[in-house]
Amino acid sequence: MTTLITPPQESDDREAPTPPSRNTRAKVGRWALFFAMVVIAVVMLYPFWVMIITSLKSEAQFLSGGGFSWLSWKHLSATIPVGQEVLSSTIVCSASILIILVVGLPAGFAFAKLRFRTSTAVFLVIVSAMMVPLQAILMPEFVNVTKLGLTGGYFGAILVYAALGTPFSVFLFTTYFRGVPDELIEAGIVDGLGYFGALWRLVVPIAIPAIATVTVLQFIQIWDDLLVGLLFIQNTSERPITVGLAVLAAGRTTSIPELMAGSFISALPAMIVYLGFQRYLVKGLTMGIDR
Amino acid sequence: MAEIDFDGVTKIFGVGPPAVDHLSLHVDDGEFMVLVGPSGCGKTTALRMLAGLEEITSGTLKIGNAVVNNVLPKDRDVAMVFQNYALYPHMSVAENIGFALKIRGDSKSEIKRKVAEAASILHLSEYLERRPKALSGGQRQRVAMGRAIVRSPQAFLMDEPLSNLDAKLRVEMRLEIARIQRLLGVATVYVTHDQVEAMTMGDRVAVLRDGQLQQVDTPQDLYDHPVNEFVAGFMGSPPMNLVRCRVRAGNDRIEVDFGDQTIELPWHYTSSHELPASGLDVVVGIRPEDVIITDASSPNTIQTRVERREALGAEILVHLSHVDPNTDPSAYAENARADISRKASLVAKMGPRVKITVGDVLSVQLSPEHAHFFDAATGVTLRKRSR
Amino acid sequence: MSAITSNAPRVRRMTLRRRRQLSGFLFALPAIALVIGFIGVPIGQAVYYSFTQWNGLTSTWIGPSTWTQAFHNSNLWTALENNALLLLAVPFALGLPLGIAVLLHQRVAGWRIFRSIYFLPTAISWVVLGLVAERFFAYQGTLNSIIHALGFSHVNTNMLGYESTALSALGITFVFTMIGTNTMLFLTGLATLDPSLEEAARIDGAGRWRIFRSITLPHLSRFIQLAFVMTVIALFSALFSLIFVMTGGGPGYATTTMEFLIYQTGFNQGDFGTAALYGLILFVLTGIVGVVQLRLIGSNE
Ligand SMILES: Nc1ncnc2c1ncn2[C@@H]1O[C@H](COP(=O)(O)OP(=O)(O)OP(=O)(O)O)[C@@H](O)[C@H]1O
Ligand SMILES: [Mg+2]
Repeated sequence: MTTLITPPQESDDREAPTPPSRNTRAKVGRWALFFAMVVIAVVMLYPFWVMIITSLKSEAQFLSGGGFSWLSWKHLSATIPVGQEVLSSTIVCSASILIILVVGLPAGFAFAKLRFRTSTAVFLVIVSAMMVPLQAILMPEFVNVTKLGLTGGYFGAILVYAALGTPFSVFLFTTYFRGVPDELIEAGIVDGLGYFGALWRLVVPIAIPAIATVTVLQFIQIWDDLLVGLLFIQNTSERPITVGLAVLAAGRTTSIPELMAGSFISALPAMIVYLGFQRYLVKGLTMGIDR
Repeated sequence: MAEIDFDGVTKIFGVGPPAVDHLSLHVDDGEFMVLVGPSGCGKTTALRMLAGLEEITSGTLKIGNAVVNNVLPKDRDVAMVFQNYALYPHMSVAENIGFALKIRGDSKSEIKRKVAEAASILHLSEYLERRPKALSGGQRQRVAMGRAIVRSPQAFLMDEPLSNLDAKLRVEMRLEIARIQRLLGVATVYVTHDQVEAMTMGDRVAVLRDGQLQQVDTPQDLYDHPVNEFVAGFMGSPPMNLVRCRVRAGNDRIEVDFGDQTIELPWHYTSSHELPASGLDVVVGIRPEDVIITDASSPNTIQTRVERREALGAEILVHLSHVDPNTDPSAYAENARADISRKASLVAKMGPRVKITVGDVLSVQLSPEHAHFFDAATGVTLRKRSR
Repeated sequence: MSAITSNAPRVRRMTLRRRRQLSGFLFALPAIALVIGFIGVPIGQAVYYSFTQWNGLTSTWIGPSTWTQAFHNSNLWTALENNALLLLAVPFALGLPLGIAVLLHQRVAGWRIFRSIYFLPTAISWVVLGLVAERFFAYQGTLNSIIHALGFSHVNTNMLGYESTALSALGITFVFTMIGTNTMLFLTGLATLDPSLEEAARIDGAGRWRIFRSITLPHLSRFIQLAFVMTVIALFSALFSLIFVMTGGGPGYATTTMEFLIYQTGFNQGDFGTAALYGLILFVLTGIVGVVQLRLIGSNE
């Protein structure tokens, strides 16, 4: 569980004992390598470059190709209700993640430490649910949630996101808690905790890194998602930003510079979260095969 | 504070043999009881049943006068020290020690006072704000102790609390734990497989084997009067020499075949021992410290050769094999008769200044006063119960 | 002592193990309920509805004829074919990140910054990446600028505009979107490689390629397997955003994959029954990949 968190260390000793004759060749190699890395960096930064450059043009400038202006940014809120949409995204994200954690933590604790008669089988069933794409069950899901009257507000989307995120969080927490020594929980129990107390006062504090991993991964996933927000939030004024952008883009009537400005805004929170919590992301991704 | 009573307590994991088999053991209030035995004999399981971490398959377990078989750990009011300490990694030393009090709902000032008191007993006062990660092994061990003593519980349960420490620290903490236990007078069940710990710390020692209690006694009684071959071989370091012999005896003496040599052990103890019938096998046990070098003319000596010599500083362990004085040692192996004590060999413990080298031929005396006799078939001592 | 005797009500009857198991079950229950309610039940419903004529409100049982009809529907076959063709992108979606990870692993000056840059697009929504890709492939987009800059001034592409090229454009975009995640995986794998192994091989006189072939690659095999599974699953179930903003499934049905076909059939044509049926097909397809994935996880436990 812990081995992969540390990023690879910078080390120069790998090339240290090179004989002088090979020195220049190694140097040329290093420069070629560096050059290649720069080229890749340019490619990977291309989306950001497109968003920024394009958004800094007016529609006319965009069509003709030249010039810069703040016009698209100024008119942005008139075309796209950015503020409202970011708020919707935030609400949906936070609520879903909260449910995923509240449901996933006790389940992970149960599967790892309080095993009941069928727990292994149940665990496997839940983990298999990770593999079910929403599209496969889209129609019944949509009809069910609609019939429950949950597509009116955020609730439908929140519950669907929570259900889709729960298998992963259960899997991650279970794996994480298996690495926590039984004695730690037992020490707490002998010290006077019940199982709920052990969960709340020992397990949750110890699981902070795993909680961070789930939160970051789910945040990016939900923030960036289109399908659920598109179908399960019927009210256009409650659309999350990703959905708002996609719908405008698909409509093909919105000015592209403004779309790009909106895109940039939508990308910002996920990027910040990502840059701040990179290591938790890596940890979550390699969950299950690390060590 | 309370006494502890195991009455026929049995634990069976799934199928298979019981991990703890009809254990009946009484621990007096304030008593320091040590559980010893080889790995896998059920020590931890017994302790965990007492803590409420493991369910009891059958039998009755009492703390004080209450049957606790189905009482939750948190309602048993016992404190446990784990082998790997199990400190809460996200809490400081002070929080670790005070945790049980906090759960119990003691007031903040009360907790602070008790934690400070425990910390001073354990010389932890300077480390109260540190996280467990930033402590040495010995300090962590003391925090684990602190977590237990701060509660003034009904009983302390300790599972090999010293096994992760280095030798020097272990000796130190051995004394420390014994001191604190005496200071607090709380009934303690202490699990170890280190017999030095068992001998030095326990008021009484319980020896387990395959889940079955072999003997409970004071350390000295255990040493002097092991009830069976297993206990005899288990307690004492290096272990007691156990030699299988055939009895060829009249009423007042026993002859022991030792290799090709036969010695007579005058039977002083006919009154205190059950004398087996002639022709039966017995196991004679002699502690290494009771194997004494003499000259060949003394009675009851055998000729042995030094095979190996281990100098431990304060003492020397000498591994001896018997030799037949009439035969050339190199030819011995081929000539030897098949005999039940063919492979007999002895370990002797000697003072550090004894001049001995490998290959020496020595006469050793096996003093019958210090010999133990066990029925070879059952392993049970032939000594009559004094009671 | 009083603590033990006084509060010894009926619950004490329950054995310790029963109590632990009961707590465990109760702790797991919300997760079980959520997953069963929102994933398990709909799978069952999908099976039922796939045998019905269903518009979301009323359903009439028409039996297996929906299935025979569906398999005679050319759209289904087009979608499946598109999915199959997109699989050709998988080697690139694995190979490029593998190369990039190996480059990063050389740790030239500033490699940490490069690492962050390479992973950055991972954070962005595929909706946004789709929008950017549209700019890239557009008539006045970056691709044509590059081609012109290379001297082919009369060549003008419009890959998203033609049935013959739109799927390729989608595939290229997909490869780009997977680079960050897969590079991250491989780099993590490389970080767990014991450097002394390479050291030893070098001392034994092995060349770079040889070391890569016989030490690095075998070590990475678990990570490559995982990346493969994740990439294929993404290919079957995460392209929706890209397709929605880039092509809307067109031109014609050129970029309609299974998942997009489900959406179209259900929400554009209102044929919920057939859409549910298509969902089942997608479920089976990903299920096959999922079994492989479970094997990977399972072999670790
Ligand atoms: N949870 C369990 N499930 C099945 N068998 C177990 C379990 N715990 C212990 N056992 C078995 O019970 C027996 C006693 O184990 P126990 O841990 O009590 O031994 P121990 O005396 O503490 O040994 P050690 O000195 O190695 O710690 C062993 O045979 C062990 O394999
Ligand atoms: Mg043990």
